Amino acid sequence: MLMQQLLNGIVVGSVYGLFALGFTLIFGVNHIMNMAHGTIFMWGAFAGLYAVTLFDVPFPVAVLIGALGGGLVSVILDWTAFRPLRKQGAPEFSSIVSSIGASLILLSLAQQLTATRVMRFPFDIFPIVAFNFFGLRIQLLQLVIIAIVVLMVVGLLYYLYRTSFGRQIRAVAVSEHTSKLLGINPTAINFQVFFISGALAGIAGVLIGIVFNSVHFMMGEPLLLRAFVVIILGGLGSIPGALIAGLLIGIIQTLTVAYLSAGLADALVFSTLFLVLLVRPTGLFGGASAVARVTRR
Amino acid sequence: MKALVLDDIARSFGGLPAVDGVSLTAPAGRITGLIGPNGAGKTTVVNMITGLLKVTRGRILVGDEDVTEADAPMLARAGVARTFQNIRLIGDASVLDNVVAGFHRHEKVGTLANLLGLPSAVRERRELENKASALLERFGMTGLAKHPAGSLSYGHQRRIEMMRALAMDPAVLLLDEPVAGMNDTEAHSLADIFRSVAQQGVAILLIEHNMRFVMSLCQHIYVLASGQLIAEGDPDAVGQNPKVIEAYLGA
Amino acid sequence: MMSFFNSYTPLLELALFNALLAFSQYVVLRAGVFSLGTAAFAALGAYAAAIMVTKLGMPAWLGLIAAVGLGTVAGALVAVPLARLRGVFQALATLALVQIVLSITLNWVDVTEGALGINSIPKTIGLFGMFCAVAVVTYLMSAMGSTSIGRAFDIIREDETVAVSLGISVPKHHMIAFILSGAIAGLAGGLHAYTSYSITPNEYGFNMLVMVLAMVVLGGRVSVWGPIVGAVVLTALPELLRGLQEYRTVVQGALLMLSIIFLPRGVADTLIGTLRRRRITLASTKAKAVTI
Repeated sequence: MLMQQLLNGIVVGSVYGLFALGFTLIFGVNHIMNMAHGTIFMWGAFAGLYAVTLFDVPFPVAVLIGALGGGLVSVILDWTAFRPLRKQGAPEFSSIVSSIGASLILLSLAQQLTATRVMRFPFDIFPIVAFNFFGLRIQLLQLVIIAIVVLMVVGLLYYLYRTSFGRQIRAVAVSEHTSKLLGINPTAINFQVFFISGALAGIAGVLIGIVFNSVHFMMGEPLLLRAFVVIILGGLGSIPGALIAGLLIGIIQTLTVAYLSAGLADALVFSTLFLVLLVRPTGLFGGASAVARVTRR
Repeated sequence: MKALVLDDIARSFGGLPAVDGVSLTAPAGRITGLIGPNGAGKTTVVNMITGLLKVTRGRILVGDEDVTEADAPMLARAGVARTFQNIRLIGDASVLDNVVAGFHRHEKVGTLANLLGLPSAVRERRELENKASALLERFGMTGLAKHPAGSLSYGHQRRIEMMRALAMDPAVLLLDEPVAGMNDTEAHSLADIFRSVAQQGVAILLIEHNMRFVMSLCQHIYVLASGQLIAEGDPDAVGQNPKVIEAYLGA
Repeated sequence: MMSFFNSYTPLLELALFNALLAFSQYVVLRAGVFSLGTAAFAALGAYAAAIMVTKLGMPAWLGLIAAVGLGTVAGALVAVPLARLRGVFQALATLALVQIVLSITLNWVDVTEGALGINSIPKTIGLFGMFCAVAVVTYLMSAMGSTSIGRAFDIIREDETVAVSLGISVPKHHMIAFILSGAIAGLAGGLHAYTSYSITPNEYGFNMLVMVLAMVVLGGRVSVWGPIVGAVVLTALPELLRGLQEYRTVVQGALLMLSIIFLPRGVADTLIGTLRRRRITLASTKAKAVTI
C-alpha cells in the first residue's frame, strides 16, 4: 500500500516538476515571476481536451496540441504583459503585478468558455493496461507519463546545453546587456523561452487532466501554488532542483492525503515553503547548476 | 577632528584580488586625493570604507575607532558620508526632501512620536527643513528647493548629492568622482566648497579620475593601479613619478 | 437623502473596509517590502474578533483590541525573518502565509467552524464606526508619511544603497512597515466581522490578495490618496459593471495590467506629480515676468 502510494506520488510529482521547470526557466532567464503560469497550464489542458472531444485525436496528438496551445498562450502573454515592461526597464514588482492581471483575464475567459463546468477526457483516451510487479500495480499510463517527463527534461537539457540556441539563452540569463553586445537577438530568445515554458506547462496540463480525470478553469491555481513550493525548495532557476523538489512535493502530498487528510496536505506543503524560505532561501539544491547562479544577482 | 586610516586593506572577488594591501591616511582638515586609471579599484576602496563591502584583510579606523566590522548604517552613524560616482538621488522627491534625508542620523524624535504626528515630530521636521534650506542657500540653489531632483541638470544633481552628504555633518567625507561630467567653471565652484568644508575639520578623501582637478586641490595624493598603491606624495612628486605616468598612459 | 444612505450603506461599508485593507498593503509597498500578507493578517483579525464575541462572550471593543493585537504580533513575527529576503522571496513567503492561515481557518473546525465560517456575529459597528477607523488610519499614515519614517521608507524603496549610506536601518524600517501592515489589516478584519454578521475563510484568500494589490497599484504607493482612490475605484467598479457581470474579472485584470504598464506610479501619485510640476513652471514663469 505504501509502495503503491509512493508510485502515485512519483507520477504526480514528476508532472509537478515538468510544470515547475517552465516556471523556473522564465525566472532564470528573464527574472520574471510568472503568476500566469497556472492559467497557461489550464489552457494547455483545454487545448488538448477540445482537440480530443471535437476532432477525436489520439493521445499523442492531444499531448502535442496541449504543448502548442500552452506555448502559444505563453508567447502572447509575453508580448502583452511583459514586453512593454521590459522596454521601460520596470522593476520585478511590475511584472508580477502585470502577470496577475493577465492570469485574471485568462482565468475569466476560460470560465466563460466552459460555463464553469468540470470537463473530462473521454474514457477511452488511453487504454487501461496494468502490470503487476511484485504486488505493485503499475498502470501503462503512469509509465507513459514518466517517460514523457524524462523525454522532455532530457530534451530541454540537450537544447540548453548542447545547441547554439541554448547557449544564447544561457548567455541572456547571465547578462542581457552583454549578450546584446555579442549580437544575440533578445526578442528571438524571449520567444523561445516563453514558448518552451508554455509548452511544458501545456503538456503537464493534458497529463494532469487525464490522471485526475478532470479539466476545469481553476485547475491551474493549486498547481501554481505548488510550483512556488517546488521552485523554492529546489532553488529558483535550478533545473535538477525543480525536478527533485517536484517529486518530493508530489510524494509528500500523496502520502499526506492518503494517510492523514487533504486539508492537512495543503497546510503542510505551505508550511514547508515558509520554513525553507526562512532557513535556506536559496533552496535545498540552489547553486547546484549554472542556471541557478542567475538568481542571485 | 578625526582622521580616516586604512591599514593594509584588501578585497578579492572570487579569488581575484580587486584591491590588495592599500594603506593610507586622510587627516582631518585636509583634502587627500586617491587617483588611478579606470579599473584600478577606487570604487572598491570606497565601498569598503562605507561598509557596503567587507574587507578580506586589514583594518579601517575613523579617529581611534576601529570600524572594520561595522555595516553601512553603523558607519554612517559614526560620521562617514559619501557621494556616489553615478548620481543616486530620489528623482521624484524635491531637492529639499533629498537634502533633508541627509539629516537622518541626527534625528532624535522616536518612532511613535513620528507615527502619531506629535508636535515634537512636526517641530523636528521644520528644524531639519530650515537647516536644509541654509545648505541650499550656501550652494546657490534656494530657488530650486521645490523642484523634483530628477528634473535638474547634471551639475545641480551633483550639488544635491554633496549637500545631502554635508547634512550628515560628517567627520569623514568620501567624494567618488564628484566633478565627472562637469565643465571647468562648475568644477571650480565645487572646489571652493570642498576647501571650506575641509577647513571646518572634515577629513576629505577625494577619489578622482581627473588628474588635473586633484592636483589643484590636494596637498597629498595616493595613486592606485591594479589594486595596489604605486605612489604617494605631493602633487609635483606624483606628477613626475615615472610609474604614475606609465600607469596612466599604459592603461 | 436618508434613503440614499440606507440603500448604499453596505457598499459604503465595503469601500471603507477596502480602504483599510489598501492602507495595510500600501504601508509595506511604500517601504519597498513586497508583502502580500494583508489577507492573512485580516483573516487573523476577523477570526479573533468573531471568536472573542461569539465564543468567549467578550464585548466588541475588547474583540477589536484582540484583532489589532493579533495582527500586530503576526506582522512583527513575520518581519524578523523576512527582512533579509529579497522582494520576490518576501512575496512568496507572505503568499504562503495567506495559504497557511486559510488552511488553519478551514481545518481547525473546533475553533473556526471550518468552511461554513462563523455566523450570527452581532452587528456592533456601523458606517460611522468604519468611517472613524479610516479617518484615524489616514491621519496616522499621513503623519508618518511627512516625517522621518515616511522619508526613510521612500529612500529604502527607491535605493537601498543610498538608504544604508545615510545611516537608515533597513531591517528596522521593514519591521515598522510589517507591524503597521499587520495592525491595520487586523483592525480591518475585526471591523469586517462586526459589520457583516458572518465571516468565512475563503473571503480572505487569493481573491482578496489580488484585489488589495490592485487597489494600491492602481491608486499609488507614495501619497496617502493612493490607497483611498484605489479602494473607491475598485469597490465601485463591480457596481458600474453590473450589466457586464461575466466580464468583471476580465476588466479587473485588464485594469491591473494597463495601470502597471501605462501608469506605473498609480493614479494619485501621477496626478500629484503633474500638478506639482505645473505649479513650479507657473511660479517660475511668474518670477521671470517680475524680474523683467
